[in-house]
Amino acid sequence: MLDVIFSFDFFSSVLRMSTPLIFTGMAAVIGAKADILCIAYEGMMLFAALGGVLGSFYTQNLLVGVLVGVICGIIIAAIFAYFVMYLEARPLLAGLALNTLGSGGTVYVVYLLTGMKQNTSNLQSLRFPNVEIPGISSIPVLGDLLSGHNLCVYLAFLSVIAVWFLINKTRLGLRIRAVGRNPEAAASVGINVKKTKFIAMLLSGLLASFGGMYMSMGYLPYFTTDMTAGRGFISIAAQNMGLGNPALTMLFCLVFGLAMAVGNMAQSYRLPSQFASMLPYVVTIIGLVIMGIKTKREETHVKKTAHAVGNGAKGLEEKV
Amino acid sequence: MSKGKVVDSSKQIELRFSVLRTAVAILISLVIAFILIATVSDNPGGDFITLLTGPLQNSSRMTTIVSKFIPLLFTGTAICMVNSAGQINIAAEGAFFAGAVAATMVGVIEGIPAIIHIPLCILAGAAAGAVIMGIPGILHVKYNVVTIVAALMINYVALYLGLYIILNPLRDPAAGFEASYPFAESTSLPTLFGNPRIHIGLILGVIAVIAAYLLLYRTGFGLSARTVGNNKKFAVYSGMPVGKTIIGISLFAGCLAGIGGTVETLGNYQRFMYTDFTNHGWDGVMLAVLCHNKPQYMPLAALFLAYIRTSADALNFSSSVPPEIIEVIQAVIIIFVAAEKFMAGWEHKAIVKNSQKELGTQGGE
Repeated sequence: MLDVIFSFDFFSSVLRMSTPLIFTGMAAVIGAKADILCIAYEGMMLFAALGGVLGSFYTQNLLVGVLVGVICGIIIAAIFAYFVMYLEARPLLAGLALNTLGSGGTVYVVYLLTGMKQNTSNLQSLRFPNVEIPGISSIPVLGDLLSGHNLCVYLAFLSVIAVWFLINKTRLGLRIRAVGRNPEAAASVGINVKKTKFIAMLLSGLLASFGGMYMSMGYLPYFTTDMTAGRGFISIAAQNMGLGNPALTMLFCLVFGLAMAVGNMAQSYRLPSQFASMLPYVVTIIGLVIMGIKTKREETHVKKTAHAVGNGAKGLEEKV
Repeated sequence: MSKGKVVDSSKQIELRFSVLRTAVAILISLVIAFILIATVSDNPGGDFITLLTGPLQNSSRMTTIVSKFIPLLFTGTAICMVNSAGQINIAAEGAFFAGAVAATMVGVIEGIPAIIHIPLCILAGAAAGAVIMGIPGILHVKYNVVTIVAALMINYVALYLGLYIILNPLRDPAAGFEASYPFAESTSLPTLFGNPRIHIGLILGVIAVIAAYLLLYRTGFGLSARTVGNNKKFAVYSGMPVGKTIIGISLFAGCLAGIGGTVETLGNYQRFMYTDFTNHGWDGVMLAVLCHNKPQYMPLAALFLAYIRTSADALNFSSSVPPEIIEVIQAVIIIFVAAEKFMAGWEHKAIVKNSQKELGTQGGE
């Protein structure tokens, strides 16, 4: 089995599993920076996945398909943002509603337009192409590792850099962080809090859309019911593990992707795959606990120091 | 300063509007449902009537309503409890699943008399559920972990651990499909009204609702739980045992969800059949929204959800309309009921008008 794990096939299977997680993980990073508890990524992904398939099928143009998919995902993000920001719906409930809508609404649209209920496998929709990187593809080992993957795989890694840049190096990123950390302070210096959060959510929707479209236009060549299968939630977990840092979040997305790939492999060897599938969640819980212990220790340390300082001051008073 | 009976308090107006908002949300969702049906159906009128009255058309469907109603009582009440304490603990999904698995582990043992066997199964289910829902609560209190993230994670742990137990040590190779050994005969739940599909889970569910209501609204523990939910800082400063309350209520809610999984599995199946989440936990979240976290309204909300689910079955049976449009209806209801500011303009006007009236009468005294 070890020779399988160290094969190129397995490596690319890890990448395939991680790609949608990275996109949506980056979406979650932006959401978290703006301090929005969004769980609607499943809904955004599903609608974008369907939009991409239908758009590319009807126009036979990949770019138009992608555009339609992105618009679908962003519309869900906008509905979420509108209800949460302007109608003061609890984010969890708005998220739940939109995930439910994603699950049922996509089935309805598929049936309305194609008459099929389970998937769109009869439609000749387009896929993202695989990319051979000129120069690198001819290098023996490196070429096999780095070249020939789906376009989305490369875009996913680029999105990590883009999100890092956006958050840390742009005015918009600064504003998003400001409204996320202290909305009152941000408002006091003239930042429109609601508008900034709204924009953050739309950007989040854009990234999640690519996560969804990769599922139906790369990972599989068609849309099927509930095809995201909890990936939106897993991305939220990765974001939490990564403390909102894009690079760390990407790392945890890769860990989850690895565990999924191992789970798939175990299944094909007829081994109990459940432990491999369970592993990332257990790791996340342990990680969250370790982080919790650390912050608690720091807090008590601060308290103790403050106490010591206080005693010292008392001592001084007595001397005087 | 006597408050005249002619004027309402603002609280009453708020309550009236929250009921009105729910009604309007249901109305909007029905209009949307009609539009959706009209676009895909050959017989929109007939299908819409099926959606509205299908569940009442024969006794078998009415039984289906009750059988769908039972598990919802448990998970809905469980979510009401944790929500009241301000905990977004959606591990009810995992707790329901774990309850079913634990009940199966006890239920496949042969040779225990029914009078002991059924309580044992329920106990096992409750314990498993309490563990699954308790963990996010404990992690939140002890280690500051965000409850919803821990709950999402623990759900998957419950799912895969449960599937491992069912598909390896408990798998029946003779079944021909992926399922556990059959339950012992001594686990078959007593039925009610002479109907084989309505089991004592119904009574247990009603007891669960009453117990949750009494605990939340008639005990000191419930008061501190609700205080923690409304204003955690106040609870801390007034010396309430915040941590213990959160953990306690999570464990109690977990017991309920676990028992729900137990009676659902033992009451409806011959062996463990689930291969994935059953979605009862998320349904519970929706129900808790509809009830504003008040367990006393749970039977009504659960009945409503069970009814439209049965409508979906009826649609699936009698027409080509995909039953998933029920999910669209659910989504619309949740989002409009959750939107606090939806119709807030009217509500505000009503409250202002009322206050003016109140001031006016007082001024006259």
